[in-house]
Amino acid sequence: MFYVSLKTSVTAVTAIWLSVAVAADAKADAASCPSSIPFGLTTALTGNLALLGTQARNGAEFAVDEINAGGGIAGKKIAITTEDTGASSTDALNAMNRILEGKPLFILGSMISPHVFAQTEVVTKSETPFLVGATNAKVTMQGSKWLFRTHVHDGQLAELIPEYLVKTLGKTRPGIMAVADDYGLGASKGIQAALAKLKVSPAAVASYAPSDKDMSAQLLEIKDKDADSLILFGRPADVTLVIKQMNDLGIKLTTIGNASIVAQTTLNNLSAAEADGGYAIGGMIPQTSTDAKIMDWSKRVQDKYKVPADNFTVSYYDTVYLLKSIIEKVGCNKPAIRDALAATKDWKGMLISYQADGQGDLAHTLGIYRNKGKTPELTGPIKESGY
Amino acid sequence: MGQLVVNGLALGSIYALVALGLLLIFNTVQIVNFAQGQLLMLGAFIGISCAVTHELPVVMAWAITMVAMALVGIVFMVLVYFPLRGRPAFLVILTTIAMGIVLENLALIVWGPLPVSLPSPVRGPPARFAGVVVSMHQIFIFATLAVILLLQFLFLTKTRFGILMQATAQDLHTARLVGIPVNRTIAVAFAFGAVLSGIAGLLVAPIFLAEPTMGGSLGLKGFVVSVIGGFGNLPGAVIGGLFLGLIETFGARYISSNFRDAYAFIVMIAVLVAWPRGLFGEKSSEKV
Repeated sequence: MFYVSLKTSVTAVTAIWLSVAVAADAKADAASCPSSIPFGLTTALTGNLALLGTQARNGAEFAVDEINAGGGIAGKKIAITTEDTGASSTDALNAMNRILEGKPLFILGSMISPHVFAQTEVVTKSETPFLVGATNAKVTMQGSKWLFRTHVHDGQLAELIPEYLVKTLGKTRPGIMAVADDYGLGASKGIQAALAKLKVSPAAVASYAPSDKDMSAQLLEIKDKDADSLILFGRPADVTLVIKQMNDLGIKLTTIGNASIVAQTTLNNLSAAEADGGYAIGGMIPQTSTDAKIMDWSKRVQDKYKVPADNFTVSYYDTVYLLKSIIEKVGCNKPAIRDALAATKDWKGMLISYQADGQGDLAHTLGIYRNKGKTPELTGPIKESGY
Repeated sequence: MGQLVVNGLALGSIYALVALGLLLIFNTVQIVNFAQGQLLMLGAFIGISCAVTHELPVVMAWAITMVAMALVGIVFMVLVYFPLRGRPAFLVILTTIAMGIVLENLALIVWGPLPVSLPSPVRGPPARFAGVVVSMHQIFIFATLAVILLLQFLFLTKTRFGILMQATAQDLHTARLVGIPVNRTIAVAFAFGAVLSGIAGLLVAPIFLAEPTMGGSLGLKGFVVSVIGGFGNLPGAVIGGLFLGLIETFGARYISSNFRDAYAFIVMIAVLVAWPRGLFGEKSSEKV
């Protein structure tokens, strides 16, 4: 009896000692971070991609300010260094090299895919966790185990948009119109492939240069070829022009596309009649939320930056908080942060839960939206198959 | 087909307006201002600040924008042209490019990256002719181009100051020797050139939205149009602009929309090969 009791006691004491030791070690990990945790951000703040880039900056910076105001991570403040990529991949690479000189603990990259393609090699060599919002599906197929994406990608949209258009909206003769850059043309090809799987042939496939202002010729082609709907893929500024010009030309087609159709920037420049009825599938946006906390967050972001938050703002904001939660657990050890990112499972962000797949994609939930006048309404969330 | 013609001409009118501003400066100081597109952007944003931000009547916004752009033109001349006067032309041209980048980023800081729309000064339902839709704003663009071309022609050929400007363009040093107030003449050219760009910006913003980077492409098209029309020739610039607008629109519709921007440069090269001085360029011997 005494022997059993002793054994039990020894086991219990050992268990307690071990658990205290593990807890102390975890605490020591976070506490071992430098007095200011270096965090690098490269994004487009000037040039024709600044509209997108500033949304990333706003989301990341807003989160950092909140975290630092709340005492930082284990009492350590995050020190953010931002470098402007401009609109070129060369500048993006130079910006990344400058960021790497500061030896950041982690880096948030651009949502512009060519910029990320240019930066991936040097970041991978530096063995620094690299989180991006770039939407080209191939971004996470580069074989870098340090690269993660926290925004939905074009491959997901290219599958879901045609499926929703054909199966739910019953349209079988869409015209496709996309911005002629890496973003739009990649999506256009994916959409055509997805339509082929559904045994649907597009009535017409058109594109426009990012700097184009007059899309009437492309719209008239789509109209002349008797399209019953339009799949539109572009940035908010050009999507606004396409919708405006459709209206001017009296072309009435069910329109579905990426989140630009419901972006606040787009809606601000359209009349209610022009915006009404447009469908979008994309990263979740905060505008449709009825949650008081999210509404308050959106208002605070708008007040601070004078620009309404969008899906990228949310994604970059969530990313910083995801990293905070990881650093609190594993400390400031880069391989441990990378491993924790790769093991992310059901981490709850502002609007969606994040879950890592084998390639490093963490976002798998999209929103289906429909404009009622100038107000986007959430028709429902839709998950990528398997999530 | 009719709709393509109308839309092509409306687009071409904008190109022509940019080219007219470009040529006014070129004809006076023989310098190509590659920041002309950014001046257009500035005009659009000044108009938006007046009409949208401060909710002034659109007509008043136009008037304020034109005065402001005249001042911008003079400041531009003082900062860009005067310090480099007499230096190789390419230095001034490079400086105009640099100034364009500065203006673009300045606009980004002041007005932000968001695209913004400006209300049109004309309202009303679009006119319809045999299935072709012509918006009131498009009609206003055609009318504005016609009036500006006429006024510019009359100013340069029928007024004393216009003739002095032409004399300055012919030979700046001789003009100074015979007592022409050269600096004032050049200042008027820069002011008018900027005002024309500002007007183009005010015309573009209601249909194409205004954003800080809008000027780059439009400025380049204005240059292409000037080359096609014959550098220095005002009617040539207008015809070149309308021609390019039609080529782009029809090319995008019937050939491929992927190469829309390329059509402008293909046409420019083709014109230069066939007519090295442009469609309406005057033959002239090298100045001695």
